[in-house]
Amino acid sequence: MKRRSLLWLTTLVLVLSMFLAACGGDKKTATNTKNNNEDKKGSEQADSGPQDGGTLTYAMESEFKGLLNVNFYDSSSDAEIIGLFDDTLIDYDENLKPQPNIADWKTDDNKVYTFTFQKGVKWQNGEELKVQDWQFALETIAKIGPEHPRWTNVNTIEGATAFNEGKADHISGVEVVDDYTIKITFDKARVNNLENLWTYPLSRKEFEGMDPKKMAESEQVRTKPVGLGPYKVTKVIPGESVELTRFDDYWKGKPHIEKIIVKVIDGSLTVGELQNGGVDMTAFHPTLLPEIEKLDNVRVEKVPGLSYYYIGFKLGHFDGKKNVMDLPKYQNKKLRQAMLYAINRDEWVKAFFSGLGSPINRPVPTSHWIAADNKDLPNDYKYDPEKAKQLLDEAGYKDVDGDGFREDPDGKKFVVNFAHYDTGNPTYEARAKAMTQYWEEVGLKSKLTMTDVNLYYDQLEKDDPSIEVFYGGWGTGADPDPLPLWGKEAVWNYPRWVNDDSEKLLKDAVDISVVGTDQEKRKQLYVDWQKLFNEEVPALPIAELYDVYAVSKRVQDVKYDVSGSNSPAEWWIKQ
Amino acid sequence: MLKYTLRRLLGMIPMLFLISIVVFTLAKLMPGDSLSGEIDPNNTDPTYIAEMREQLGYNDPVYKQYFRWINDFAHGDFGKSVRYKIPASDIILERLPNTVFLGITSILITYICAFAMGTFAGRKPYTIGDHFIGGANYLGLALPSFVAGVFAIYIFAFYLGWFPSNGSVDISVPEGTLGWWASRFHHVLLPALVLGLLSTANYTQFLRNDIIENSRKDFVRTARAKGTPERKIYNQHIMRNSIIPLITFLGFDIVAIVGGAIITETIFTYPGIGQLFLSSVTTRDYSVLMTLTMMFSFLTLFGNLVADILYGIVDPRIRMD
Repeated sequence: MKRRSLLWLTTLVLVLSMFLAACGGDKKTATNTKNNNEDKKGSEQADSGPQDGGTLTYAMESEFKGLLNVNFYDSSSDAEIIGLFDDTLIDYDENLKPQPNIADWKTDDNKVYTFTFQKGVKWQNGEELKVQDWQFALETIAKIGPEHPRWTNVNTIEGATAFNEGKADHISGVEVVDDYTIKITFDKARVNNLENLWTYPLSRKEFEGMDPKKMAESEQVRTKPVGLGPYKVTKVIPGESVELTRFDDYWKGKPHIEKIIVKVIDGSLTVGELQNGGVDMTAFHPTLLPEIEKLDNVRVEKVPGLSYYYIGFKLGHFDGKKNVMDLPKYQNKKLRQAMLYAINRDEWVKAFFSGLGSPINRPVPTSHWIAADNKDLPNDYKYDPEKAKQLLDEAGYKDVDGDGFREDPDGKKFVVNFAHYDTGNPTYEARAKAMTQYWEEVGLKSKLTMTDVNLYYDQLEKDDPSIEVFYGGWGTGADPDPLPLWGKEAVWNYPRWVNDDSEKLLKDAVDISVVGTDQEKRKQLYVDWQKLFNEEVPALPIAELYDVYAVSKRVQDVKYDVSGSNSPAEWWIKQ
Repeated sequence: MLKYTLRRLLGMIPMLFLISIVVFTLAKLMPGDSLSGEIDPNNTDPTYIAEMREQLGYNDPVYKQYFRWINDFAHGDFGKSVRYKIPASDIILERLPNTVFLGITSILITYICAFAMGTFAGRKPYTIGDHFIGGANYLGLALPSFVAGVFAIYIFAFYLGWFPSNGSVDISVPEGTLGWWASRFHHVLLPALVLGLLSTANYTQFLRNDIIENSRKDFVRTARAKGTPERKIYNQHIMRNSIIPLITFLGFDIVAIVGGAIITETIFTYPGIGQLFLSSVTTRDYSVLMTLTMMFSFLTLFGNLVADILYGIVDPRIRMD
């Protein structure tokens, strides 16, 4: 028996160490469950106003890059963190129209804007925000020039190009009147000058004297960022978590929650972490909805998103400068319309997006102020296979050889070559396959190709002949202008659709000499454009999606709309 | 021995050079580049992308790109990460301690468990205990780490709440304190167990078989005949012989840990170089990707070298000059 003592000792040490670790972990869960129980009690009590204190854990699925300054970030996960500790000069309301925040503005002609800043707004390093900080931001970007992803938001200011080329000491269009007033002159009057302008300041104290090209690498951006918002960053563990602490001098008043911890977690952990209270707030993928709805300590917030999916047809190619529509296969409008009528979009959205979306008939998300009402559009493409068949018959696509599939008007075999991107997500192939089945049901032989997502967009952009019909999605920002997506000279116009009426409508809508400063007039032109698109369907609008967020019930006063959440300063935790 | 080591080290240079060509070619064969695949037209203006491509040298001939890369690489400049906008070496160094910590913990777990189970099974072969350990080992061999990881998280992190399911440390604990180290250990233990227990099987079976084989050898029979106590036979005579070949495994372990960490770190959202490798593949962060691949290749060669040298040290019959 003695022989075994060594073995037993080892086992004992192992088991003991596991229990020790277990005890450490247990404490944490215990407090979590306690909180949950208190929530339930709390929600039954009457509201007695916001309470201060507490720690909120905010999770994100994709790793943040760590460019924690609004002037340098380029990923949405960095933007989520920046949103917690920084504030903006201009806000956007639920119709995505600009609203004054720190700055208010005036303009008579859409060329010269006068901005007035609130007084007493503090940076988190104690400095007061002045208009020179904004001037500094604009000049930093302009100094870097086309290499900076925000250059297009600055180069419309008068004199920005000259400043970039070193011909001037300052941007001539940016004129500081006093510490709280600044005048910005654009190179020409445009309808969307304000929406396009870069309206974020950069702290001069933090970055004074630094080479603009080195700023993104500096610790002021990566680990010790300074913002204007309700929380300040106190610690960053790159790629893993960020700790934010309440900023008592926040210009809108002291926030309620003591600390916010931002954590990166794998998507597969979301449900479990929400359930055991390890995470209080997170955005999640629609496929998780059924599981998250079952949790009783979490509520789900749904808001209309700004993205839409479509199925495009390659109608031509991009010759380097403009789109040329020269591919004959899908030129017949009735064929394209029939393919849209053939798809049961309601069923499809329900099956593959947990119902978190709705079919659309125009390439503009409903929450945009330029979106046309459904009843104003010539066609409502409700699922109607009979209508699809009838349209195909009219267009001359008939089954000549009796194999059950239609031939083209010349009697040749017709196959819809449908391409979809592949990211390794198994539901993508299923949802693409469903599309081809809808088409086969109305007699169109279809073939599906799944292509790696990076190669896919490369092929799309370069008009690779292997792609004929393709699935795609666009996200739009605050500026609703569809010209960069559907214009004649737009490289992003993947279907290569060229239409003179469309071009005229889109160009008129941003032409100040046509619409002036009248937004209604501008909207009418966009509605007319959507009517045209709806009739021509160079791409089949499929669905717009909702953005979904899970919020623990102990966190109060969190509101979401299309422009994101309300200010974290308003959130509070029920103690 | 020194001469042998030097010769092997020199021999690694052409090998690494050939590997670099393969790595570079494969990286270039990957579709798209880090700038394509963006779908938000408001953030990525086509002229900006064209400008950046030109600047990053994506438009140069392939051989030029290769020589630029290998030249910088040889000078210790691993390029700037396209994704993080800071030097690739900085990012790797930021993550390396986490992986090293995970690796050491898991190797310790492997050795402790394998030693305990292997000795037990070797001394009492063909008993219930031995069969049980054998069964557990084959399960460990058959079970892929991503399945084991998911189960471990479900049972130990969510259901029992013993371990955290993600991260490497609790951010609110001040760095460098005892609590901080405890928190780090607490975070590393579950992924290390998954990583360590799965590779235990090889060691256990090896040790068991070696003990059984040795116990039938002449020197054991002699010892028994001389009346040496059974405990002494096992603990001294057999163990000393059986443990020698195990040491040589250490070289290969260096490689296995890094390979296993790629998946385990991703499942546990544990920010080490394994997770970094996977994310650099999906985001086409070439400079990080190529540096890490070169590093892994070097580790493989280095691991083999360590194994060979250790073999020479522990077993004097193998002479290397």
